[in-house]
Amino acid sequence: MSDDDHQSLKAWGRRSYVPATTTRDGDRYVRVSRGMVLSPRRIAGWLALLALFVAVPDIASLSSSIQQRVLHQGVLFGLAAVGLNVLLRHTKLVSFGHAAFFGTGAYTAAVLASQFDVTSMLLLLAAATLVGTLMAGVIGFLSLRHTGLYFSLLTLAFGQLLYAIAQGQSYLGGSDGLPVRPGEANRATLFGVELSADVYSVVVYYLTVLVVVLALFVMWRVVNSPFGNALDAIGQDRTRAQFVGIPVRRYVLAAFVISGIYGGVAGGMYGLVQQHVRPEATLYFLRSGEILFMAILGGFGTLVGPLVGGVVLVFLQDVGRDFTNYFDALTGIVLLLLVFGFPRGIVGSLQSGSRLRAAVSTFSDDPAIVGEWATEAWTSLWAAVGRARRNLRMLVLGVR
Amino acid sequence: MVELANFAIHTLNGIQYGFILFLIASGLTIILGILDVLNLAHGELYAVGAYVAFSVFGYVSGAFANPEGFVGLATFLVLSLLAAVVAAAIMVPLGLLLEAVFLRPLYGRDEVYQLVLTFGLLLILKDMNKLIWGPLPVRAGDIYSGINRIPAAEFVGLTFPTFKLVIIAVGAVVVVGLFYFFNRTKLGRIIRATAIDREMATAIGVSTDRVFTLVFAMGAFFAGFAGAMALPQSNASLEMGANPLVLSFVIIVIGGLGSLRGAFVGAMIVGVLSRWAVWQYPPAEIAAPFAIMALILLVKPNGLFGTWGETA
Amino acid sequence: MLGMVGGTAVAAALAGCSTLLGEDDQSSGGEADVPDEPIQAGLQTYTEGAASVLGLQAQYGAEIAIQRINDAGGIAGREMELDVAHEADAAVENYTQFVDEGKEVTFGPISSGGHAALAPEVESQGVVNVGTDGTVTTLYEDTVPDPTYSFRFQNYDVMEVVTAAREAVARIGADNIDSIAGINPNYAFGQDEWKFFKLAIQQLVGDVDVVYEGFPELLADDMSTHITEVNDNEPDVTFTSVWGGDVTTLMNQAAANDMFDNTQLVGSILYSAVDELDQDVVEQAQAFSGSRNWYWDFPNGSRWSPNADLFEQAQSEYDVVPTAHFMSGYGAVTAWATATAKTVDILGEWPSQEQIARSLEDHGFHTPAGYHVMGSDHQGKSNAYSGSLEWDDDLGRAVLEDVNVFTPQEVAPPIGTDAEEWINSW
Repeated sequence: MSDDDHQSLKAWGRRSYVPATTTRDGDRYVRVSRGMVLSPRRIAGWLALLALFVAVPDIASLSSSIQQRVLHQGVLFGLAAVGLNVLLRHTKLVSFGHAAFFGTGAYTAAVLASQFDVTSMLLLLAAATLVGTLMAGVIGFLSLRHTGLYFSLLTLAFGQLLYAIAQGQSYLGGSDGLPVRPGEANRATLFGVELSADVYSVVVYYLTVLVVVLALFVMWRVVNSPFGNALDAIGQDRTRAQFVGIPVRRYVLAAFVISGIYGGVAGGMYGLVQQHVRPEATLYFLRSGEILFMAILGGFGTLVGPLVGGVVLVFLQDVGRDFTNYFDALTGIVLLLLVFGFPRGIVGSLQSGSRLRAAVSTFSDDPAIVGEWATEAWTSLWAAVGRARRNLRMLVLGVR
Repeated sequence: MVELANFAIHTLNGIQYGFILFLIASGLTIILGILDVLNLAHGELYAVGAYVAFSVFGYVSGAFANPEGFVGLATFLVLSLLAAVVAAAIMVPLGLLLEAVFLRPLYGRDEVYQLVLTFGLLLILKDMNKLIWGPLPVRAGDIYSGINRIPAAEFVGLTFPTFKLVIIAVGAVVVVGLFYFFNRTKLGRIIRATAIDREMATAIGVSTDRVFTLVFAMGAFFAGFAGAMALPQSNASLEMGANPLVLSFVIIVIGGLGSLRGAFVGAMIVGVLSRWAVWQYPPAEIAAPFAIMALILLVKPNGLFGTWGETA
Repeated sequence: MLGMVGGTAVAAALAGCSTLLGEDDQSSGGEADVPDEPIQAGLQTYTEGAASVLGLQAQYGAEIAIQRINDAGGIAGREMELDVAHEADAAVENYTQFVDEGKEVTFGPISSGGHAALAPEVESQGVVNVGTDGTVTTLYEDTVPDPTYSFRFQNYDVMEVVTAAREAVARIGADNIDSIAGINPNYAFGQDEWKFFKLAIQQLVGDVDVVYEGFPELLADDMSTHITEVNDNEPDVTFTSVWGGDVTTLMNQAAANDMFDNTQLVGSILYSAVDELDQDVVEQAQAFSGSRNWYWDFPNGSRWSPNADLFEQAQSEYDVVPTAHFMSGYGAVTAWATATAKTVDILGEWPSQEQIARSLEDHGFHTPAGYHVMGSDHQGKSNAYSGSLEWDDDLGRAVLEDVNVFTPQEVAPPIGTDAEEWINSW
């Protein structure tokens, strides 16, 4: 499909809200909503993903090593990663402090639930989102004066500052954290209805599904809007974007705040799921790192990638602990594989044109290629070790 | 007079802490300045150094059970310092390997991959420590108590452990040495030239390849040396890499990314001020370094010394 | 085989005196209707990192208790199998996974924060958890005021703190304590302990000056700021609740700064670092240390063979000097096993979770540490031990000499009374 065709498809997609189909180059396209035109295959893919997502509680009941709680946590960290991806994918800013918003959301829910006895689930969630957003506004305002590594380090430092505050204030429960168990039933209520423990976890899960689907849709709209295009332009070249009249600072701040909203809502949901919020689990800088790596692991060039990355990373850490003492190294190896084997992430690698896909098709043409790959990897590893040896000699004996 | 002595001890504590922080942050900032890599595994290099030092120190305290007398104590001190250097030297091949095998293919790629990679290395190194030295913390208390037998601070009427004085002295030597290296030696100038303009350096015949390796190995050496020097007064544990890493970030942000002088000043500011903060308002211990950083950045958005290269 | 062995054999084995029993004349109970398969139990504890100094001890204790149960023929013929999970900061996840895997009972955790998060979840999942540690005072006062399935074996914070305060007064004399300082870990446990120590000592000796309170971070590698302040203020007593590796860091650096010339150190759990303490430091310090609900050498093994046997076993199998945390694991398992065995005897069938939980309330049982009661408030109460920390050349380790024993009545509030109210009412 040529670029012109694509443009006209897009235009067609914008014309009205009524679903319709059209045919280009023999492929059929379905207009899902205004501006959203997808091929049937992609729609099927999305529906399959959604079905999988909805069925998580059933999947989790199949095996004791798959826990709904763990998958749920993965989804929530993944949601925060979806937010972070606005910055990473479009403005090319690497935030290393997104746990700040996640933690702010979680702590907002916890403080309201345990200090003010707010029981309404939706109220807790709304407050978490609001405070998370405000926090993003403040931190964004202070750290967006910089770009590049300075920006990363500043966000990290602000995140750690919040961590230190949560850790040090007895009002916030110190390192023990705060419970999110308001009211008589020790559980938040939905529309004033008290839920039993089993029902509660299912209800919270489907609330998450709802929030995530909505959040993904909104994100899709945002990145495909003129605003999203402007962010892309800023990411490619700030100065040029400034010259063509894009209010760079305002737009980047807006993107930062949007990403904070996602962190806040995910954190609020986390509080509802875990029913206990601790600084180490929500605000520590390693959580920030994980949120970033989730986005990259899942594929930061894609919309759902970060979500997938979140589930995979959290699941990996949890299951890893079950069968090896060296679960940290396991995660580490996965990250190395990511960097060298499938840099476009899980979802990105499944898309057409990726290195992984090319490799798979070469492999199915000629399985013997594996031997060649192995030799290649071996040779380059040896070359590297040899270089290290030479350099060591140079260090010891001096530069000649 | 008592007040003054008390103040002096708190300040000396801070300076000692500052030197350890500088040893760690210096490597991080040089690597950042020249390779343009933010090495998240740097804190683990510090931890590996401490663990290796634990093993090396074992030989020293095994050979010298109870050092006595001037000669005995002096020999013990020299041997201990030598052991720390040996431990740090063992870090060099490790650094070379990491740079050659893992980092090299990443130069020129999107910086997020460097973060992912070095974080992956962080996790793997941490588990490597667990594999080799076990899950429990290890310590080298003999070295600490042995060196502390040398009565040093008592000459001026202060109660201050000799080991801390040794850290301060050794740290000062390293600082002077590093500045001399980068200002006065040819190799040091070559490295700085590479930091200022990589292409130009290549054009005048500098092998940036080797400079990168050298710089990374230097970073590993000093991180390992910091670990070795920090071990005797506390312990080596699996978690020990995280805090110094974050504090090093704070320091290089205060000093200016990639600035060695900035790292030194930043380390001293964080070291001394955070010890004062603990003294005057104990609950501030964790938050103090970050508050200091935020304050300095409000006044000087690019850190105290900007980027490195032009001046060391 | 259906359960031929009654509860008494298990209880005797765990008390450490199975040899006192005749062949089978003590085994009561007859045919009980119990399942064939072994009992699956889960323990979560720190198996790595700094806190594993405590965590591994708890694991060793639990393992030995289970070994003894199985050697005695199991509970009503059912052997126990223990699955150990690393606690990390995932106390709730570990527990729910245990439940998903069909564990019949769970033990742990070590961390106070983890326990506070876990206890409400235990209540909603309904599988009994006997806490080994996680001794935060507020657990059954505020977090779960009316528990059903959540229990805690180890003496809780207020008990060890009151023990330390009484110990200080007993050793130094109320008249000689005019000023105190505290160096406590900077998290809820340390703050909890320091708060109650101040309260208790003020009640015991009247007005004292609090001249310094420092809160080093966990795993701090430098405590000299706090030490310098103690040196400057020279308090009569310095209280600390640091544990594990932090004990060694504090004591080594305190020795290097001559802090022990200026104050008397009293610690609630210094002895948890027994395997790491050095001779010169111990000798210089002359500190007093609590040891929660068990000290392995009191009463001395020659007079009380269960202590000698357990110490022997800990040394030969794990090469450690067992500490109070060892007993945390051992006793938690014992509490559950003896209560369950007793219930099988009474019911003649395998009890439900609710029945086990009910029989754990006000359940009394023996371990080598003596007699314990799991109160109706779900808090275990045992004698509290404290002694002066000295070096033993034969053992090559620090020991507690001149041990004082405090009964639960002396150091714990009566059931239904808030710890703070209780201390204020003295």
